[in-house]
Amino acid sequence: MDNDIALTAHLMRRAGFSATRDELERYTAQGYEATVEELLNPGDPQVMPEDIIRRLHSSLDEGPEGAAAKWLYRMITTRCPLEEKMPLFWHGLFATAYSKTNNSRSILNQFEMFRRMGLGSFKDLLAELSRDPAMIFWLDNNDNHDGAVNENYGRELLELFAMGVGNYTEQDVKEAARAFTGWTLGNVDYMRVKANKDSFSPFGRIAWHFQYDAADHDDGVKTFLGETGQFDGEDIVEIIARQPAAARFLCGRLFQFFAADEVDAEGERVIDEMTRSYFESGYEVRSVLRTLFNSAYFKSERARFARVKNPVELVVGAIRQAGDFRSPSLAIEQVASICFYMGQGIMRPPSVEGWHEGEEWIESGALIERVNFVSEELSNVDLPGVRRIIERVAASNGATMTPDELVERCLDMLGPVEVSEDTREVLTSYAGRLGNIDLGSREPGGREDRRVADLLGLIGSTREFQMA
Amino acid sequence: MAHGNGTNGANGVNGKNGTGARNLVALQLGGGNDYLNTIVPYENGLYYDNRPAIAHDPERILKIDDGLGFRPDLEPIKRLWDEGKVAIIHGIGYPEPNRSHFRSMDIWHTALPEEIGTEGWLGRVIRELDPKSENVLTGVNFGRGLPRSMGVKGVPVASVGNLDTYGLYPHIQDEELRKYALESFAMMYGAKGKDAVMDFLGETGQNALKGADIIRTAPGKYSSTVEYAENPIAQDLKNAAKVMFADLGTRIFHTQYGSFDTHSGEIFKHDLLWQDTARAVGDFWDDVVEHGMADDTVIFMFTEFGRRVKDNGSGTDHGSGGAAFVIGDSVRGGHYGEYPSLEEKDLLEGDLHYNNDFRMTYSSILEQWLGLDAAPIVNGRFEQFPIFKN
Amino acid sequence: MAGLDYVKTIGMISAGGRFTAGRGFTGPYALAISGDGRIYVVNRSQIRICVCDFEEAWLGSFSDGPGMDDGQLYLPTDMAFDSQDRLYVTDEHQHRVSMFDTEGEYLGRWGEHGGGEGQLNGPSGIAFDAEDNAYVVDQHNHRVQKLTRDGEYVSEWGGHGGGEGQFDMPWGIEVDSAGYVHVADWRNDRVQKFTPDGEFVSQLGESGGGEGQLNRPADVAVDSEGYVYVADWGNERVQLFDPDGEFQGLSRGQATPTKWTEDFFESNPDERDTRAIANMYPDLPEHLNDPYRASSQTEPFFWEPVNIHVDTEDRLYVTESRRHRFQVFRRA
Repeated sequence: MDNDIALTAHLMRRAGFSATRDELERYTAQGYEATVEELLNPGDPQVMPEDIIRRLHSSLDEGPEGAAAKWLYRMITTRCPLEEKMPLFWHGLFATAYSKTNNSRSILNQFEMFRRMGLGSFKDLLAELSRDPAMIFWLDNNDNHDGAVNENYGRELLELFAMGVGNYTEQDVKEAARAFTGWTLGNVDYMRVKANKDSFSPFGRIAWHFQYDAADHDDGVKTFLGETGQFDGEDIVEIIARQPAAARFLCGRLFQFFAADEVDAEGERVIDEMTRSYFESGYEVRSVLRTLFNSAYFKSERARFARVKNPVELVVGAIRQAGDFRSPSLAIEQVASICFYMGQGIMRPPSVEGWHEGEEWIESGALIERVNFVSEELSNVDLPGVRRIIERVAASNGATMTPDELVERCLDMLGPVEVSEDTREVLTSYAGRLGNIDLGSREPGGREDRRVADLLGLIGSTREFQMA
Repeated sequence: MAHGNGTNGANGVNGKNGTGARNLVALQLGGGNDYLNTIVPYENGLYYDNRPAIAHDPERILKIDDGLGFRPDLEPIKRLWDEGKVAIIHGIGYPEPNRSHFRSMDIWHTALPEEIGTEGWLGRVIRELDPKSENVLTGVNFGRGLPRSMGVKGVPVASVGNLDTYGLYPHIQDEELRKYALESFAMMYGAKGKDAVMDFLGETGQNALKGADIIRTAPGKYSSTVEYAENPIAQDLKNAAKVMFADLGTRIFHTQYGSFDTHSGEIFKHDLLWQDTARAVGDFWDDVVEHGMADDTVIFMFTEFGRRVKDNGSGTDHGSGGAAFVIGDSVRGGHYGEYPSLEEKDLLEGDLHYNNDFRMTYSSILEQWLGLDAAPIVNGRFEQFPIFKN
Repeated sequence: MAGLDYVKTIGMISAGGRFTAGRGFTGPYALAISGDGRIYVVNRSQIRICVCDFEEAWLGSFSDGPGMDDGQLYLPTDMAFDSQDRLYVTDEHQHRVSMFDTEGEYLGRWGEHGGGEGQLNGPSGIAFDAEDNAYVVDQHNHRVQKLTRDGEYVSEWGGHGGGEGQFDMPWGIEVDSAGYVHVADWRNDRVQKFTPDGEFVSQLGESGGGEGQLNRPADVAVDSEGYVYVADWGNERVQLFDPDGEFQGLSRGQATPTKWTEDFFESNPDERDTRAIANMYPDLPEHLNDPYRASSQTEPFFWEPVNIHVDTEDRLYVTESRRHRFQVFRRA
């Protein structure tokens, strides 16, 4: 049972944003594979209702921090965490930034598209991505004209989004770009001027919509990845989707996001299996992830705590465990900023290459932010999730606990989190400076609770807690 | 370039006192400062024609020369100008100006106008000054979060929101408890890790702790006769002064103020912003002088773009072509670049035409002041202005 | 059938940040008109109260925030004048009502956080009757409180629920010329009408997007002939009902340039010229065509019509927090 809980906790750190002990027990009771299926087939997410959010936060989605906050509410409250984790993956892969677009409403529409299509066919997703107004502007496809090709989107589609260097030629880039001519924005001249000047005048920003300009489309014959025809953008993504290199590329990226920062030989074999699922299912991301989550590799001990949590995972996970932000609060925008201070500003990826995950999250300023945020959340006895953890710690053993027992229970309830012997020793000494603890006489939020909460905060500070 | 050892492993460069190291204080005027209403061409009729709603009263302009003058509230900077310590770089910008805040600021931060860069120019400076990251405080930002100009992978920079509580666990009120938490943190991160990632985490955590411990000593060492105002820029510069005078090896200081995005109500808003900024800079400089650091310190004040020539009835919208300032005893005060023409035929899409690349100014500071090879930092070789003495 | 004739638009966005000043609005949230016809607009994004007139003269602003001090606002929700031209501003973060004179001089405040008599939890709408009694919508206590103009408790009604006389996060409020009190029962998708003592009279609206249906109504106003206007916030439109509650017409908004925006285009010809050839009412793909998204892409449409107000000449003012302006209509 304990091992099952630990396995479920591992799955939820990767496919979700960590989970409370109560959630973990529900998932564990229904079994691992059933939980994987539940994640892969999102039902009603029961997220915080949009109207309730907007009632407090008018204009929340006007700028990047607020728009990020709006998404954070979903991540924090959803019952279908993978449905939110996928857009985070796609946002890292198809990294579109506010800095050039100056239109957070349009980037939010892109995220919604990721949510809607992010577990389905990779081909359909690429087609929709090519029509996505924020992407079109971000990579200059609105400047890609019949007879005056702008290769930016065509190039990044092949290099960064779907294939990887070495799997196509410069000629393929040009031909792909030709096929996407005429895929542009409505009112493109006005929208370009407004975006380039970051103009919110006279009446605020105007979100974008896609427009196909047939007169500006190059409908000549193209030769792309060895095939020849009168291709348009739809044909290009269709051809890309059937390339083994595309399958390998996508599965590799999914593996690194969900399974391990580094791919070893055994990881390569998992990616092989994922690639097979990709073709068998007709390019379906859901099937690829099913293969990954059910692989022996993913479930093994060695896969656990083997990835550095990205800032959004860390922050949202701590908030979910602490039970914070269950109703709208102005403080949410600060949370979005904190993710940015930690190096992962939603809508603010450093470039089209997205974020460099793994060890690169760890830098001294970012680490201070990470430790401070998590320890403050988990040590706040006023938060319902923290109260619940303490309640469960208190109920899980006899009323009086030694420091050893207290540390053990807290680690268990927070994860379970696996820590080194050295870490455990420090935690125990910290917990033990006031001797044994008697939780039988606890008053909610009282002295004993605060002692437990302080320990929870310190556990949130550990090196091990930085890992997913 | 002579290297000397300052405290905490910082490399010094041929300065005269203190650690012997030269400091650069970068002050970013975020939001796009209105150049025309900062350095005012008060004898030019086109100025008044284009600024019916927000032109300054020529009587109140602090006149300098060439028909130019400082806006009235720049008195503290005018004083330094009169002492020959202020270089004004007129018409600074870059080709194909971008009028978007984020993007244009990115361009200034990464010194890359044509493509999206990943390394900040000040981050590269910090790496040059302290290649082995021996001092986690070589670069300090006053404000929360890392400005892109200081961000380079592997280069530690402390971002100080509140100097008095900087570091780990500021939320723990109980001093005893906080001390205990910090000790526990030090022990946990100091232990040998099970793998390379854990070791890296441990090392980073110890560095963070060390940096915070050192920087928090600064307020205790500080005393000054200068009384700063209570506004954010005055407090940030006061904190910069505390860190500078505490002799911690910090060389690059960064802070920002704003927003100078004066689309509406410019008269009122621009006044208050500059009252705060000019007084803070003047007070900071007095403090620097009082602590004998005037020969070792230079302030560089910049913004991401200037604003439209023509006002919109209440303020000004995003434009191009701006001004930057370099201030210090080592500075050869005066005008650099050219004040751009206001003639309609000379405008660029309704904006002032830039006439010198901002990377010229960067290069001048890097080569003449910090003794660094500018080209790899600013992504190319640029002509320099003779901004510095000798 | 009556309908809504468009009259004009007033407003434009003003820049945000420290020391916001000058002509324009940033997240306007409520509008009130003084006895001499000056228009007061409270802003929620950059907190302040702006003053202008119907001819679009800019008359200044006061009460810069956010702040918790006396005379400051933090999260203002609604405003109303009493018969003495005293301006009352509710604030759902401060849980209180601040008072100003027409020159912006702070006069005092009342209310404190809580659920008891005279206490408030997220106050939103406010309106006065002919005797200068204040009716304050107490959002999170799901009730309406009747108080004197100085905040002395008189009576209350409501309670959380969907039945007659109950509320779910109510928002706007109006007292009509006959003294009836109309409340935008926001999360119940209806507007309820009460006697001055809180006896339920009738209700209009039901959940939905069709004619006469409502999606989270934010505010209600009644003109001199008893016609009822509803800010149908979730549907991004305004609906008109006759005195019997029969649907008469609706508008999604049709904003046009203002005197202030003309000045802006004068100094930004690049925007003026490219805008001139743009289709401001674009055809939208289905997934971007729900009311909120359509409004985000269609600038003339209402976007977050949070507040409506009928003046002494029966002109209707629709304040849109996302478009930094208000549109004026007249019943046809």
